[in-house]
Amino acid sequence: MTQPPRTVMTLPKVDRDGRAAVSAAAARIDGLLVDHWREHDVKPAARLTDEQFVRRIFLELGGRIPSYDETVEFLASKDRRKRESLVDRMLESPDYVSHFYNFWADILRLQERPSKSLPFEPYLYYVKDAIRTNKPYDTWVHEMLTADGRIWENPAVGFQLRDEGMPLPYVDNTVRVFLGTQIGCAQCHDHPFDQWTQKQFYELAALTAGTRMRTGRGQMSAKGKELPGEGVRGLLADIRKQNGKKTAQLTRFVQANATAVSFADAPLKLPHDYQYDDAEPLSVVSPKVLWSDVPTTATTANGREKFAAWVVAHDNRQFARTIANRMWRKLMGVGLVEPVDDFREENPASFPALLEHLTDEILRLDFDLREFVRIVVSTDAYQRRAVAHDPTSAAPFRFTGPALRRMTAEQLWDSILTLVARNPWSVQRPTPEQIASAASLDLTKARVEDVERRCEEFMDAYGRGYMRHLQQICGYHGQLLVRASEIPAPLPLGHFLRQFGQSDREAIEGARQVATIPQILAMFNGPITHSMLERGSVIYDNVTSHKPEQAIDVVFLSVLSHRPSPEDRRFAFQEITTAENPATGCGNVIWSLLNTREFIFIQ
Amino acid sequence: MVHPVPLSTSRNARLSRRSLVGRCARTAFGVTVLERLAGTIAVAEAAPQAGKAGVNIIFLTMRGAMTHIDTFDPKPGREEQGETKTVRTKTPGILFGEHLPKLAGVSDKLAVIRSMTTETGAHEQGTYLMRTSYPQIASIRHPAMGSWALHVSGKRSRDLPGYVLVGNGNEHPGCGFLDPAVTPVPVADPALGLENTVRPSYLSQTNFERRLALADRIDRDFKQTYKGQQVEAYNQMYKDAVRLLGSVDLEAFDIAREPEKLRERYGDSQFGQGCLLARRLVESGVRCVEVELGGWDMHRDIFEELPEKAGQLDMALSSLLGDLEDRGLLTSTLVVLGTEFGRSPQVNENAGRDHHPAVFSCVLAGAGVRGGVVHGASDAQGRSPDKDAVSVEDFNTTIAAACGLPYDREFQAPNGRPFKIGGGGTPIAAVLA
Repeated sequence: MTQPPRTVMTLPKVDRDGRAAVSAAAARIDGLLVDHWREHDVKPAARLTDEQFVRRIFLELGGRIPSYDETVEFLASKDRRKRESLVDRMLESPDYVSHFYNFWADILRLQERPSKSLPFEPYLYYVKDAIRTNKPYDTWVHEMLTADGRIWENPAVGFQLRDEGMPLPYVDNTVRVFLGTQIGCAQCHDHPFDQWTQKQFYELAALTAGTRMRTGRGQMSAKGKELPGEGVRGLLADIRKQNGKKTAQLTRFVQANATAVSFADAPLKLPHDYQYDDAEPLSVVSPKVLWSDVPTTATTANGREKFAAWVVAHDNRQFARTIANRMWRKLMGVGLVEPVDDFREENPASFPALLEHLTDEILRLDFDLREFVRIVVSTDAYQRRAVAHDPTSAAPFRFTGPALRRMTAEQLWDSILTLVARNPWSVQRPTPEQIASAASLDLTKARVEDVERRCEEFMDAYGRGYMRHLQQICGYHGQLLVRASEIPAPLPLGHFLRQFGQSDREAIEGARQVATIPQILAMFNGPITHSMLERGSVIYDNVTSHKPEQAIDVVFLSVLSHRPSPEDRRFAFQEITTAENPATGCGNVIWSLLNTREFIFIQ
Repeated sequence: MVHPVPLSTSRNARLSRRSLVGRCARTAFGVTVLERLAGTIAVAEAAPQAGKAGVNIIFLTMRGAMTHIDTFDPKPGREEQGETKTVRTKTPGILFGEHLPKLAGVSDKLAVIRSMTTETGAHEQGTYLMRTSYPQIASIRHPAMGSWALHVSGKRSRDLPGYVLVGNGNEHPGCGFLDPAVTPVPVADPALGLENTVRPSYLSQTNFERRLALADRIDRDFKQTYKGQQVEAYNQMYKDAVRLLGSVDLEAFDIAREPEKLRERYGDSQFGQGCLLARRLVESGVRCVEVELGGWDMHRDIFEELPEKAGQLDMALSSLLGDLEDRGLLTSTLVVLGTEFGRSPQVNENAGRDHHPAVFSCVLAGAGVRGGVVHGASDAQGRSPDKDAVSVEDFNTTIAAACGLPYDREFQAPNGRPFKIGGGGTPIAAVLA
């Protein structure tokens, strides 16, 4: 069948002996911030209580609220270093991988089927695995920018394939994501207020212009369109000849097998309507990077290698700066430069010295992002209460604590799952090997019957059949009760995750945290809310397995990660004792806590 | 002189009793509405516009950039025309692309603008500009036209929302810097309408109210500590959701109540059914509805993809106009067909067309505009405007003018900067009735 059971992933340990170094690094950041606060005459927010700390660390490193047991264990611990221990444990948990996968999925526009023909699961797995193994960020990016082969043979090609057929937007997207710089306007024209010219755009794009996405090419058409090679062409012709109901599906299946990234330098011409004096329309541009030079190690390499080497070079400080700013915003809620992909002279950092220091840290850590996260969450500034901030207000954010944020759609989903499902990992997405064994065809030998058989099997395992299979494992009123990171994307607009602003994964960082009425209706009446009020949900069982007088504490600790204040306890007690029956009253309390602003905002 | 925006100015007399009721209710529920308005949004004095306070707007957003040459601005006989043939319209001398035969038959109702022009060739920025009349920048979110309309003219129904989006993604700017009370309500799937409006059978009204009261009590510390815009928006949505749940008007969202024949006429597509929902909502008192039709970004195989996409548009829009007219709603409803930019006249190597901001087409019909009009023209190849170029700001100002919105008036955003509905363009006189 589709999936043999897999154990939940394991991660490499963080360096426990490195705690002193982490504290020292955190203290350097705090030192800068204290001066900054003094300079601008602002006071830091109050320090986090243990209750607030455990909730925030679970949400921000693991993507979900802590369970009742996890909260109680942390609060009860007498360990003086329990905060550090919790951080370290979270950074080694599958929750960390799941949460940071969602973070990257929004940036990298991760979908299962960006084009109808190609299964992207191997690439999605690859991204998750890069997070799991904590692959150095520069290595990871370099791999994606230079990968060759079919997606299930070398899943890193997914990054290039995400913009298949759009070589210019590919360059735009790549520079925007990894170098925090927007050159997209220059694709069509010189913008009067922008520093990038159309010629520069084309010079940069010329480096990767030799990227090919199809194998078995026979020849180029008159218009330069790639034509499939003998084997593929013959097979496709045979499929068309049969003219069955499944022609389109079979064609796509063959195309998936014929899709492989390769590279050989090729010229790039300016557009036919190029309108500036420095070059003729349709003239070939010579490849050139946007600033500084290609590292000497890559000067003899091909264009794509040059491009990748330049992007990730230690000397290319903008690469380190972009990820430093991005990770800082991830944790503190506001970037030092906003938006994080629009570095320009006219858009300076709100606190340049801190940004440069964080950039140095990324370089010092050799792009170890997990260690960087560990340092930032260890700062005194991070461990302070959230501060309300309106991103459209003219006042700059001073980082007197992290900015108050609504949970992302995925954090909300995974948090509710924590209250509902015993095993939120009942499903994990397929591995590259699983996809390869289901989808791979030998194009030199395959005949139409082979294609039909393999295609059928594949659809059964990872097409329509896959969703049916998932529903059987973890379906609940049509919803899959598994971690958001394991649910195929993009989801339909009406799904809980989309209602709460999960991206359609078409636009870079398309997720939003805007309030809408359907969200509230889903919280009021949706199946997910009610799944937790039923027998068998985690919270239901936790409440009923405790003595009635403890029920209120259990409910508060489960949903809001803190014990009730004496006043709240009174309200809740009153509710339970005056309801039709105590169970209804208890359900009412759970529902009420879920529908507070306190629940959906991260303090 | 600067003074706070009144919720409405000289048009109170024109407002129906119903909308006044709605306004009072909103003030009472949304505790902070008036304070916020008074505190944050001010307006420079301007001459009051001729009022058409009753106008509804239905926006049809062609997402991905609709090709102009294959739809409303064909270039027969030229290489640029590609494989798309043309069809004669009811308007003498005017041709449409062959996939719009039904719209060709109602061209006497349409004002086609063939000289739209913009600078941005990026989808997100282009769509944002079309919806808000201002370029997208990080430091402020501008309101979409529908939110402006609500802000100025108010809601028409007490319980129903004033602004509904059908099938829109995340990037919609919504109410921008205006009060959360004019936030649009998204509907994901027109066939399902507004979901989760029915309480589970075991939950009595009393229990529901008890739950809300308890949530309010437990939340008071948090709400006292955090008063930012984001938290306020959620407070507002909770109030609106509760009011909506108690409304008898909810069936406005249920297109299953429409006759089968009529549903078929709109076409068996999300977009077609979305247009039907739009009509139903407008009829029930929703002032603005936007329906999105995605998939116009045809970089490859455009002539294979066009028939289905354009066919959906043809069926849905022609039926919508007919249906509105049959019900006497076309004189009070403006229908806007917009897109972020056009597609290149030159067919690319993948048999597609690429982004082309220099010229594109948009269409207006219904309240406040003249039918059977073609305004402006592109050059022979469909590459740039040849006469009467129309900017996005001009287009949106024309919409504002057709609806009687005060496009000349300066509104002050919370950051102190002035904004105009429509972005300060010039209305196209030739198109306005």
